[in-house]
Amino acid sequence: MTYVIAQPCVDLKDKACVDECPVDCIYEGARKLYINPDECVDCGACEPVCPVEAIYFEDDLPDGWTDFRRADTEFFADLGAPGGAAGVGPADRDHPVVAELPVPASS
Amino acid sequence: MPVEALTLVPKAEARQTPKDFKSDQEVRWCPGCGDYAILAAVQGFMPELGLARENIVFVSGIGCSSRFPYYMNTYGMHSIHGRAPAIATGLAASRRDLSVWVVTGDGDALSIGGNHLIHALRRNVNLKILLFNNRIYGLTKGQYSPTSEVGKITKSTPMGSLDAPFNPVSLALGAEASFVARTVDSDRKHLTETLRQAAAHPGTALIEIYQNCNIFNDGAYDVLKDKQSAEEAVIRLEHGRPIRFGADGARGVVRDRATGDLEVVTVTPDNESDVLVHDAHAATPTTAFALSRLADPTTLNHTPIGVFRSVERPVYDTLMADQLDTAIEQHGKGDLALLLAGNDTWTVESAS
Ligand SMILES: Cc1ncc(C[n+]2csc(CCOP(=O)(O)OP(=O)(O)O)c2C)c(N)n1
Ligand code: SF4
Ligand code: SF4
Ligand code: SF4
Ligand SMILES: [Mg+2]
Repeated sequence: MTYVIAQPCVDLKDKACVDECPVDCIYEGARKLYINPDECVDCGACEPVCPVEAIYFEDDLPDGWTDFRRADTEFFADLGAPGGAAGVGPADRDHPVVAELPVPASS
Repeated sequence: MPVEALTLVPKAEARQTPKDFKSDQEVRWCPGCGDYAILAAVQGFMPELGLARENIVFVSGIGCSSRFPYYMNTYGMHSIHGRAPAIATGLAASRRDLSVWVVTGDGDALSIGGNHLIHALRRNVNLKILLFNNRIYGLTKGQYSPTSEVGKITKSTPMGSLDAPFNPVSLALGAEASFVARTVDSDRKHLTETLRQAAAHPGTALIEIYQNCNIFNDGAYDVLKDKQSAEEAVIRLEHGRPIRFGADGARGVVRDRATGDLEVVTVTPDNESDVLVHDAHAATPTTAFALSRLADPTTLNHTPIGVFRSVERPVYDTLMADQLDTAIEQHGKGDLALLLAGNDTWTVESAS
């Protein structure tokens, strides 16, 4: 079981959640943040602080966003469980589920 | 993994996963509490032992930390404040086919349960004690505890606490503990490795786990968790390795020849050979105790983590079983009813 970051985070990346996570398992991608399912301890601290309600317990993901569970899992296929996002830093990539979303026209 | 301390405990029939150790109970700690990380680490580690779940027991006292047994899909008992070591002692001594774990807090283990803890350690009962130290009473909403730093301002100490704290590692070493370690909730790898070594230890193992209570004592261990400050604050003990820390191992622990005390120095080519090599198996606890005194109780600078001491000595459960066997051999199987109604009993007749 794990928490998952869904659509509203894309291109926003407010990162309020990162400061809350006691095990530093929220990793930064190019357009979204990703929760490492092998490192998340289900403490629920990130969920209430997200200003756009992007974070869900995996079983509670709204119907349209269930793909984000796969995105958060597969994002770590190569990375594994490095034991903390601070030591890894932001990645310049995204999972295809995120990468394929249209980029908003810059204002 | 064949573990000597657990040879009498039946093995699981099938391969286990962490999920097998999650119960159906809703976890009721505050969001962000360090207890979640410890729970995940324990559930992640248990499959490695490969023991039958019905032969594993978690016994706790009272406190937030003591809610732990509800969340483990094993046997468990949320017992009486401070009494988990006593209850677990009875269980471990009478049922050597069980793997018995105690979960306790700094208040539970060191205030009301202080005596039970030291006697379990002294007896060397086959227990693994996880002491969640958040330096506060969490469940009762934030009173200072026996590990709180002097001057702690809480609801029960509005002008600051006056009493000197216990150092649980020093206390355990003084109580003859055969295995004493310290780890941190958020360091999954270190916590898991510490559990592994404790599980393999025959006798009582005490692990002090630095745990963040983000509601009533938030950030108590930040200095050990922040990458920058951890360089000067954390000393990782590894058996057989020189005790060095800091950037590129620039700092080291040496013994003051005059007093026997330990001190932290900057390592130079001149003093490099004096740097202490950690020996967790040393016959006397003297150096382990000195290591436990290195940390500054207020700033937590120079805090050693890892296994301070791990030595083999007779285990209470084994001694007791052997003594019972000898008694039966010498005197035959006893008769409890006969004993209860034996020589030293009498009947008080009614006067009329
Ligand atoms: C006999 C008795 N005395 C006092 C209490 C009140 N009490 C409940 S939990 C607790 C202390 C808990 O502190 P700790 O063991 O550090 O656990 P934490 O909640 O911090 O995990 C106290 C004093 C009680 N439940 N029973
Ligand atoms: S707080 Fe919400 S929007 Fe911000 S990075 Fe985290 S998940 Fe994304
Ligand atoms: S639930 Fe807790 S551990 Fe998991 S990502 Fe959120 S803050 Fe981190
Ligand atoms: S009060 Fe503190 S120790 Fe208790 S559950 Fe909340 S955060 Fe954890
Ligand atoms: Mg406590």
